[in-house]
Amino acid sequence: MDRRLTNQIRTLRFLAGEMSQAELGEKIGVTRQTVAAIEAGKYSPSLETAFRIAEVFGKPLEEVFSWNASPPP
Amino acid sequence: MSYREKFAWLCLVAMLIAYTPYFVHAHLNPPPEGTLPDLSHMARFGLTAAAHAIMVLIGLAYLRFAARGEGPLKPDERDRAIDRRSMQVGYWLLMIGLVVVGVISPFTESGWTLVNGALFFLVLSETARSLVAVWSYRRGWHG
Repeated sequence: MDRRLTNQIRTLRFLAGEMSQAELGEKIGVTRQTVAAIEAGKYSPSLETAFRIAEVFGKPLEEVFSWNASPPP
Repeated sequence: MSYREKFAWLCLVAMLIAYTPYFVHAHLNPPPEGTLPDLSHMARFGLTAAAHAIMVLIGLAYLRFAARGEGPLKPDERDRAIDRRSMQVGYWLLMIGLVVVGVISPFTESGWTLVNGALFFLVLSETARSLVAVWSYRRGWHG
């Protein structure tokens, strides 16, 4: 079965007072475009960056990222 | 679009604009065999290389100017991952070119055919490198 990494970053940014992608990028050491690519599922971050993102939102890693079956085409 | 993606586009477009006319001309009007060096052909290549360098320098200056205030332009992990992938593709094309031009072709070809063949594979590998980078930025990277 095809599986892919999904994330809740958009929701968590909203809950963190509409934190911008640039702000999040600055906190974790990547560019705004890379945050946008992670959010859109176009780039799977390194484990270190994934942990940094979870740390920024004060959530465990599995609440930010999940490993799901792809929706059927 | 990030600074590095724009730079990959710049490299790709500059390479295609500068070298396509050169190789089309070299293919349609090949320099006579045994005339190495052929000054007019060398001058054409020199102009092409200069035009390419000028396009990249002007484009780079513009990109840097446009990116002022965007913070440091250091590559992040995604840029490095894309760079690794595109370098790998460029490297393999260059290796294939080396075998074709340096090992196989000397048995049947000589002079400008070999020179232009080597230049072609250099340009091809750089173009492929930029193309893979642009593709990876646009379509995503999951490696």
